Amino acid sequence: MTAVTDRAAASRAVPAGTVMPAGTVMAAGTVMPVSPITAWSIGAPRLLAGLDRAERVDHVTHTAIHGALPATDNAHLLGLLDASALYGRGGAGFAFARKLRSLAGPATRVVVNGAESEPASRKDRALLTRVPHLVLDGAISVGRAVEAREITVAVHDAAAYSSLARAVQERTEATRVQIVRVDGGFVGGEEHALLRGLAGDTSIPAGRRRPVSADGVLLSNVETFAQLAVLLRRGPHRFADTGTRDEPGTTLVTVGGAVARPGVVEIPLGTPLGILMTAAGAAPAQAVVIGGYHGSWLPPAGEIALNRAGVAAAGGTFGAGVVLVVGADTCALGELGRIAHWLAAQSARQCGPCHFGLPALATDVEALYRGTAPALAAAFGHARAVDGRGACRHPDGAARFVTSGLHLLQDEIDAHLRGGCGRPLLRQLPMGGHR
Amino acid sequence: MRIEIDWTRCDGHGLCAALMPQRIRRDEWGFPLIDSVGLDQRESAAVRRVVAACPALALRIAHDQPQPVARA
Repeated sequence: MTAVTDRAAASRAVPAGTVMPAGTVMAAGTVMPVSPITAWSIGAPRLLAGLDRAERVDHVTHTAIHGALPATDNAHLLGLLDASALYGRGGAGFAFARKLRSLAGPATRVVVNGAESEPASRKDRALLTRVPHLVLDGAISVGRAVEAREITVAVHDAAAYSSLARAVQERTEATRVQIVRVDGGFVGGEEHALLRGLAGDTSIPAGRRRPVSADGVLLSNVETFAQLAVLLRRGPHRFADTGTRDEPGTTLVTVGGAVARPGVVEIPLGTPLGILMTAAGAAPAQAVVIGGYHGSWLPPAGEIALNRAGVAAAGGTFGAGVVLVVGADTCALGELGRIAHWLAAQSARQCGPCHFGLPALATDVEALYRGTAPALAAAFGHARAVDGRGACRHPDGAARFVTSGLHLLQDEIDAHLRGGCGRPLLRQLPMGGHR
Repeated sequence: MRIEIDWTRCDGHGLCAALMPQRIRRDEWGFPLIDSVGLDQRESAAVRRVVAACPALALRIAHDQPQPVARA
C-alpha cells in the first residue's frame, strides 16, 4: 500500500467558512482516502496534543511537544503504575500493573491490540493514524521493561498500518517493531482470537480460558500504551492532575449516533455525560448507548460520570468508551433490533448457546418491534440462556446490551404492542459496515 | 469442585445430562446447564464418569473459581 500524504486535499476537506468550536481539531485526510477521523478534546489534550497544528504528529513534532522518551525498567514502571492507576482501555479495564505482574517469567512478546473490533469505536485508529509515536513510545518502553523479544502492533486497517509503518521509519531506536494487519470480526479483538490471527489462523476465541500472560504475552489496547507514554513523562503526580482520584488522567471516547460532531474526544475521566453531549451537539435524546455493543442502554442523564465507576453506578459499563446518542426522532426499539441481529451475526459459531441463542434473542426483539407477539419474557429467557456460556464474552456482552435496552424501552415495547411508536427507524446506531 | 465446559467443543450430545440428571439439565437447544453449586467429594466419582463419557471431550473438572477473561 502506497502512503500518499496530500495536505492540499486535506485542507480542501474542510469547507471554506466552516467555524469549528473552540478546541476542535479538524481531522484532515491523513494518509488514506478514507473518511478522516475527527478528533477534539474537552480540557487540555494529552494524547491528542499537537493535532491543532498537524493532521499527523511526526516524530520531530512529537519530540518537540512531549520531550524525549525517558528510560525505564520494570521496577520503575511498576512504581509509576502503583502510584497512579492505569486501567486497560480496551473494554475490560484490567489494571495494567496487575497484567505486568502476572507475566509468567520474562515476557516473550508485547502485543499492542489495535484490532478495534467494536464497530462504533474509532479511538485506536485515531491514535494510530494521527499520533502514532505515543503508541510506539508506550510499546517500546514496556518492551524494554519486560525485556520482550518481540513487539507487535496489530492494526485493523490500511490507514493505521501505513501511518505506523511511517512512524517506525521516522524513529531512530534499534528496537524492532512488527506491524501486522488483522481482519477479524467483532470477536476478533478478543485477546486469544487476536493472537490466533497474528499466528495466521482464523481470528476466533480459544476454548480454554487461560490468561495470555501465562504464556509470556503482555497484550493491551492501543490507548493503554499511549497513556503509558504520557504517564512516563508526566510522572504520577502530574498524570493525576485531571480525572478522578481512583481513575486519574484522561480517556478517549468515540461519540456518535444523533450528534452534530461525531468523532474521537479526549476527556478528563469523570466528565459528566451532559458536557460531552453538549460539546458534540447531541440532538434531543431518548437514550444513550455507553460502552458500545457489549455495553448498555442508559437514560440520557447528564450527570452520569464518564469513567468506569460513574457508568457502573448508572448500571452500565464504560467499556472502550463508546458513547452513542439515540435521538428522540428514531424508533429506539427498531435500533435495538438492528443491533441485536448484527450481534447474532458476529458470533464465531463455535459455541452452541451463542450460535443458537443470539439469533433467537434477536428474533424476540424483532417480534416486539413488529408488535406481533408478547415476546418480552422469551427475550429475557434467551438472554439468560446465553449469558456466561461461551468461550469468549460475546454472548455475555450481547445479552447485557439487549436486556439493558429492553429494560429502558418498556414504554416503547408497550407502544409497539398497541400498533407502533409512530417514529421512523432512522438507523442512527452505526453498524461498522466495512468489516 | 466444578465441571467446566469447553463451549467450542460441546455439540450438545446430552450424555452428561443423561448420566447426572440431578446436576445437569439441557437448554432448549440441547446444551448442558450444569449446577455445580455445592458439588462435593461424595459426587466426584459421578463427576469423573460424566467427564469421561463426553464424546466431544468438552468437559473437565476444575477446582478453582472460573477464570476471568481479560480483554485487551
